[in-house]
Amino acid sequence: MSTTLSGRIGVALALMAIVFLPMLIGGQWMRIFTSTACFTLAAAAAAFMYARLNMVSLAQVALMGVGGWVMLRLNHGTALPFEINLLLTGVLTAAISVLLALPALRMRGLYLALITLMIAGGLEVIFSTYRFPNGGTGFWGVMPSAAAPFRRPVLAESDGAYLRYVIAVVLIGFLLIDLHRRTRPGRAWAMIRRSEAAALASGVNVTAFKAWAFALSGLLAGLAGGLLAGALGLLDPATFRASESVLLFALSVVGGAQYWFGAVIAAALYRVLPALFNNAGIDPNLTLVIFGAALLHAITTAPDGIAGQIMGVFRGLTAWLRPKGRR
Amino acid sequence: MRILVSAGAYALAMAGIILGLSWGQPSNVVGMFLVSGLAVGSLYALGGIGLVVLYRATGVLNFANGAIGALGVMVAWQLVQWGWPGPLTWVLGIGLTTALSLGYGRLIGPGLAWRDPVVKAVATLGFALVVLGMTAFAWEDDVRRFALPTDNVAITILGLRVTVTRLVVVAAVIGIVVVIWAYLGRTRTGLQMRALANDRDLSALIGVPIVRVETVAWGISGVIAGFTGLMFGNLVRLEPTIITFMIIPSIAAAICGRLDNLALVLVGGLSMGVIESMLTLSPELRAVRPIAPFVIAALVLVWIQMGHRSVIGRDQQ
Amino acid sequence: MKTTLKAMFLAGTVLAIPGVVLADTVVCEPGNDGPATGAPIRVGGIFGNAAPGDFSSATRAASAYFACVNASGGIHGRPVEYGVENDQWNPELAAQAAAKLVEDQGVVALVGNASFVEMSVNASYYARNGVMVMASGCAVSECFESSNIVSTNQGPLASSVGAAMYAVEDLGATNIACIGLAIPSVGNWSCGAVESYMEAQGLRASSVLMNPGAPDVNSSLLEAIASGADSILVNLPAGLGIAFLGAAEQQALRDVYTWTSSTPLYDVSVPGALGSYWDGALYVNAELTPLDGEGEHARHWRAVMDDYGRTDDPRDTFSQAGYLSARFFTQLLSTMDPAEIDDRAAVTAAIQGIVGYESDLICGPYYVGVADRHMPNRAGTMVRVSDGGFEVVRECYEYEGPYFEPLIEAERALGLH
Repeated sequence: MSTTLSGRIGVALALMAIVFLPMLIGGQWMRIFTSTACFTLAAAAAAFMYARLNMVSLAQVALMGVGGWVMLRLNHGTALPFEINLLLTGVLTAAISVLLALPALRMRGLYLALITLMIAGGLEVIFSTYRFPNGGTGFWGVMPSAAAPFRRPVLAESDGAYLRYVIAVVLIGFLLIDLHRRTRPGRAWAMIRRSEAAALASGVNVTAFKAWAFALSGLLAGLAGGLLAGALGLLDPATFRASESVLLFALSVVGGAQYWFGAVIAAALYRVLPALFNNAGIDPNLTLVIFGAALLHAITTAPDGIAGQIMGVFRGLTAWLRPKGRR
Repeated sequence: MRILVSAGAYALAMAGIILGLSWGQPSNVVGMFLVSGLAVGSLYALGGIGLVVLYRATGVLNFANGAIGALGVMVAWQLVQWGWPGPLTWVLGIGLTTALSLGYGRLIGPGLAWRDPVVKAVATLGFALVVLGMTAFAWEDDVRRFALPTDNVAITILGLRVTVTRLVVVAAVIGIVVVIWAYLGRTRTGLQMRALANDRDLSALIGVPIVRVETVAWGISGVIAGFTGLMFGNLVRLEPTIITFMIIPSIAAAICGRLDNLALVLVGGLSMGVIESMLTLSPELRAVRPIAPFVIAALVLVWIQMGHRSVIGRDQQ
Repeated sequence: MKTTLKAMFLAGTVLAIPGVVLADTVVCEPGNDGPATGAPIRVGGIFGNAAPGDFSSATRAASAYFACVNASGGIHGRPVEYGVENDQWNPELAAQAAAKLVEDQGVVALVGNASFVEMSVNASYYARNGVMVMASGCAVSECFESSNIVSTNQGPLASSVGAAMYAVEDLGATNIACIGLAIPSVGNWSCGAVESYMEAQGLRASSVLMNPGAPDVNSSLLEAIASGADSILVNLPAGLGIAFLGAAEQQALRDVYTWTSSTPLYDVSVPGALGSYWDGALYVNAELTPLDGEGEHARHWRAVMDDYGRTDDPRDTFSQAGYLSARFFTQLLSTMDPAEIDDRAAVTAAIQGIVGYESDLICGPYYVGVADRHMPNRAGTMVRVSDGGFEVVRECYEYEGPYFEPLIEAERALGLH
């Protein structure tokens, strides 16, 4: 299989982050980067749907909430190890994602976006009413006292080891997306994006491949939610509001949906930037203003996102260097 | 024919839901919940209509409508605190929202004209955050109330007292639907708006002055957003965040009208309010009743796509 | 907008100056002369402030109190370095703030915490790290039912049981509808305790729970009416509570029911926002003693806020609670062995050993103890909305009910009851 330069750089950077990052930072930043890594995975899923299929999901963070709910439910309801719970979480969230997307499979453009927004709005109400399991009894598993302990992976009990673990899972997620891009689903998606009629005519099962895309994005969102649950040991509905899903999609566009590091940029804008502002003691309302203005600016001036601009600079540099070398 | 089938199915479904939820309840209780639901539904409809008026003409689903409305009502409240006369504060509040809406439409809107409708929509989220952040910064968290003279007069409908402010909302919603319908049908700009809504590229080719028509649409939408903000500030709560995020159920109402039919937005908004209110009668569903608008909107979307594939594909030019 | 901002900043700066000038008028114990010197004692605090709510008033008051302590000679001559973090109602920021204070800055304890989010996210974390939180603004059950958090405020459960008791004993209520938030750790928990209190009295009660963001308060009002109650207990955040009472005003229900409320409506802005309709008809439970109280600590609190706080710091219940937590913490540290106050384990053990601290700002004694739940403050005052303000209608009284029984047992063991 062929690899791109940026892809190889990405894998190298992820490996370096796994080895060195936790050595360099304190407890607060450990947690900030763990959150950022979780949201990177969710943003990557939203970005691949948008870039590969031109499908917009405004329910990505809400699906993370579903994943987080399942993960906490499994953690408090069973004695299974973290890895099996995470896998089950991914599979179940993928199934729920397909189920919720069934009515949306024939929709496109804004209508598809809106039905996902309605799903996000509905899930927000459910999360805020029933909350996330914290070790209580019954189906919803909520009790009034402090949360029961969460079992992290045996290999990654400490915050530093858990950060490494999360980055490794995110790397696997990116490789999974890339694998799809290179194989049959990727080719089918490319055709569907061009023209559904042409895809149908050439024997592509449009509905099945679209459902597959929803399944993959659900799987990744589920993993992200499960990992986030492990980071905190519990979850709060405030994280998964419908507006957060819209915001994460907007940031994926700003980051650059076409490129893998667009998702990293999106997650960094989503989680690292507010933490920096908070550390600097800037009024959270002013943070909102700066954030909104930056979002507007990036969307209007950089159609391919920040990653697109970086790639532009990169291409310019190589074009500038190459003739020189030849001469 | 199809319209009759749809209307019949709708009437049956509504009657079924209302009867099912109110089974075994005394009729005076049901009447009060029905009226209360219509009152809430008119708010959803008002929010939805503001969105659709703009979307039809410009293709922008404006997430910032709630935020600018919130700023408008906060300014009006502040001026009242400083002793300004009520009507002047309302006019200034609505004037401000109109200016903000026009500002966005003229300065930022054109730069995004050729982007995906979804990208246009999420860009307005950036604007919403800016406006909400400034509003929340300028007015620190406190309990406030935005009173209107119409609050003090009420009439009793089916056992429930309804203030004139609520009646104003219902009248305004119906009035806006009628006026916009007449405007689109009888004026030149209205005709051009309909042309833009139908096919943007073609309208540009035949010489529809797109910028001018869009500016009018942004202006009208700003006025409606300002009025909506005043009403939400009075009838929901005078809290900028709450008013800002009323936009999401408003979008649900807009979906009921397929983002283009104002009368259907009205029907959809009222139905959402009634069902939400009626859900209070069900012990199992009571706690999650705010979910009603989203479920209804999702069902409407499914219903639309079952018969009308072309409608769904339309925004995909 | 820019000029407004500028004006606000200017006002802030100018108004802050008198605080510096008057710095030596108020003295905070333990107090020897002159400002504290030496290595600082690290203490943390976490508050929530972002739209739609601002809970920063407790940490602001604690901050003012510590500034006063530092100016009066510090604790064992050493100043307190008080680091506060904002969780912005964001659970992840809350966890990050706790990690920053506990791991990165190594605080010996947290004082004055006030948030809806922070305690439920971090309760287990504090227990794992053996750090105590002397909180001031607990609003969720996790905050009270946790081993390492103890608060000077009462929270929705105690305050609404107090309001229900008043409704029964003084207003003759026999069937109460408790209006709460549809959040298990807030509304269900606190209104559930009201129900079990009423049951224990042989009376009836029901919970009406509403979604915090929902636009519709009317149907909750109708639900309360349909429950057959004769008394309505509003147990909601102030904004939502005002909206609910507004709906009741529209239906002209003031004289049909008796009306009580938990603490959130005990705020100086509330009577103005309610309007004259509710004058004399709404009874509100106050978690701490009245804001204009004339006790020694009540006056000292206002003086500290005037001299060491900012003019725009709210003078509300949370501010009293924040002052009190900081005061109790200072009192404790000044009795500890100076060699031990940088040792988190020693400080934690000392906080758990607090028994019988007194103040005129709270009705009962303050204690901690080693336990899975802490709710030392469960006696309060009842006030009535009157003439655009509040008047006291019942002085300090202790709340009863099944929920408090294990607490009373614990108090007996400590020799307090």
